[in-house]
Amino acid sequence: MKEHESNGLDFNRRDFLKNSSLATLMTVLGGVELLGHPGTAAGAESKSDSTKMKVAVIGLGTWGREILNTLAVVPQAEVAAVCDTYPASVRRASTLAPAAVQTADYKTILDNKDIKAVVIATPTHQHKEITLAALKAGKHVYCEAPIAHTIDDARVIALAAKAAKQQVFQAGLQFRADPQRHFLVPFIRSGAIGAWLSARAQFHKKQSWRATSPKPEREKELNWRLSKETSLGLVGELGIHPIDQAVWFINAQPVAVSGFGNLALWKDGRDVPDTIQTVLEFPNGVVMNYDATLANSFDGEYAMFYGTDSAVMLRENKAWLFKEVDSPLLGWEVYASKEVFYKETGIVLKANASKSVAANAGTQTQESPFASTPLFYALQVFLKNSIDVTDKAEDAATSLGPDDAEGIAAEVAKVQRRAAAGFVEGFQSAVTAVKANEAIITGQRIVLKPEWYELD
Amino acid sequence: MNTRTIIATKVSLLLLAALSVQAADQMTKYYARSGSKMRIEGTSTIHDWQVEGTLIGGYLEVGPGFPSEPGQAATAGKIDAHAEPFIMVRSLKSIEKDGKPYSDRMDEVMYEHLKAQQNPKIAFHLTELTLKEPAKSKDDPYVFEAKGQIAVAGVTNDVTMPVSILPLGDKKLKVSGKTSLKMTDFKVEPPNPLGLGIKTGDDIKIIFDWMVGQRNPPATAAAK
Repeated sequence: MKEHESNGLDFNRRDFLKNSSLATLMTVLGGVELLGHPGTAAGAESKSDSTKMKVAVIGLGTWGREILNTLAVVPQAEVAAVCDTYPASVRRASTLAPAAVQTADYKTILDNKDIKAVVIATPTHQHKEITLAALKAGKHVYCEAPIAHTIDDARVIALAAKAAKQQVFQAGLQFRADPQRHFLVPFIRSGAIGAWLSARAQFHKKQSWRATSPKPEREKELNWRLSKETSLGLVGELGIHPIDQAVWFINAQPVAVSGFGNLALWKDGRDVPDTIQTVLEFPNGVVMNYDATLANSFDGEYAMFYGTDSAVMLRENKAWLFKEVDSPLLGWEVYASKEVFYKETGIVLKANASKSVAANAGTQTQESPFASTPLFYALQVFLKNSIDVTDKAEDAATSLGPDDAEGIAAEVAKVQRRAAAGFVEGFQSAVTAVKANEAIITGQRIVLKPEWYELD
Repeated sequence: MNTRTIIATKVSLLLLAALSVQAADQMTKYYARSGSKMRIEGTSTIHDWQVEGTLIGGYLEVGPGFPSEPGQAATAGKIDAHAEPFIMVRSLKSIEKDGKPYSDRMDEVMYEHLKAQQNPKIAFHLTELTLKEPAKSKDDPYVFEAKGQIAVAGVTNDVTMPVSILPLGDKKLKVSGKTSLKMTDFKVEPPNPLGLGIKTGDDIKIIFDWMVGQRNPPATAAAK
């Protein structure tokens, strides 16, 4: 799939400097402009809503509703159906997509030929059945991450997605479609932080992770995350995103993982830890620490990347560069915005800064809070790619004749898909998550064999 | 009308029908195949731009005297031919010079200006095909002059352009050509995409390679 070119985006210093000449000019004009390619990342947003795709959301829990909120502001989305086995969840979701058909059976969605794409946000252990059925029905599939809770299931899903050459499969690793991250990848890989030292990410939030329901059987279903049988715990459900981000930035899979877990606060019958640490070892001695807890909220959620010349902090959709005093001067930094964090000054690294100013000049519109999140960009890229692939298949059938299956397939293969996480990233991130969770549960260091990451 | 006249008329009609069938038999139809390419190049006040598509649909039908095999002997002059190639507007995408995608927004601007919703195809109707130069060798193309009408954004104009046709063997042809047009001739206002005083030029160049091939006859049931 072309979308995997995203992962092979091997930017070099020359590419980066080429962009920087424009960047320098733009900073003089009042903004920091270091853009990724607008056609390959999600950066270029269409103002036109003329091309939409009918999409269904399957799984309407908290995250499913977040997806519906976001799809409401994605210009390419027309939510045609919502699905959950629990009627109250469907009713709650209906306010977010009033025109959508409501159903408890996902198969009715797959039977609907007008619905071309589905977003699967069910509990992780249900992904395999629904994803395989959706791919078989010819749907484009956005499957939340982790794509599966076992390596075997992840492999089956990835191989089915690989075989579906005229469909889009996107794993819900939303950072991979985020313009802010696409902006940072060439910046970091071009050597702007010096030689790689380490990475660190955390998720701190004091919350039980437990949902309640008057019906005990429903409560058990709702709390699938709290059972080892169905959940990869904090590292699988949350840590998979910053860990995959580090894999992308470092451009290598980890070679070993160690873990520590503790049920420190929420002793309510669950058997997954509420506090974990994971240490991922990468080639050349680079190490990533991931730390997550449901028992303390200090400093929330962020990621750090450390090099010999500087450190980069990534928090929500913003990034800052903290330079060492002996690091080389970057021409544009003189003009860049800066913010102070205690005793450190961070240079703001923001994708499309001056572009946003130009695009919004003279407008009074207020941006939706869902319109600039990584999830927004991920869903938009998914739908844009799905529209392009569908259009190409239809146009090829019109141009070459519907019987020319070989010609149609060849034309669809030429579609230049926008960068996002595909089946390879979905599979590989699941492998790491499964093994990291295993390390946490057993307290052992696990050597990650390269062949585990191979699909074929 | 007496009996003799009626018989003579019937015989004439039958003869005419037979001749028509014979003429139709002598026409060879080539259908669009994968591997085509159409490129439109233009200018603007800041830089040149280009869009590309990889799908050209339609058919080419040629009569006797058309050189369908590489290096086949052929005589200059008019060829009995019909052709209706087309390209779906939405299959055209703006690209960088190195072929990478340029901008979704630019694509939307292009579709709007070409009124793609109402006129989803750019279509060419061939009215006359004249062989100008036979191929010098089996690797060289035959040079023709093609006359016809091109329809863009709902406006049709006459066009004459040189076209080279390279027989590829295996009942396939590559039809190549280029021509220059003006957007305003088709009532397409040159876009001003960002509203920042940037304006595209009126003149555009169309370059194409259209791959066509004969279809294999449907397989017949095996004899028992």
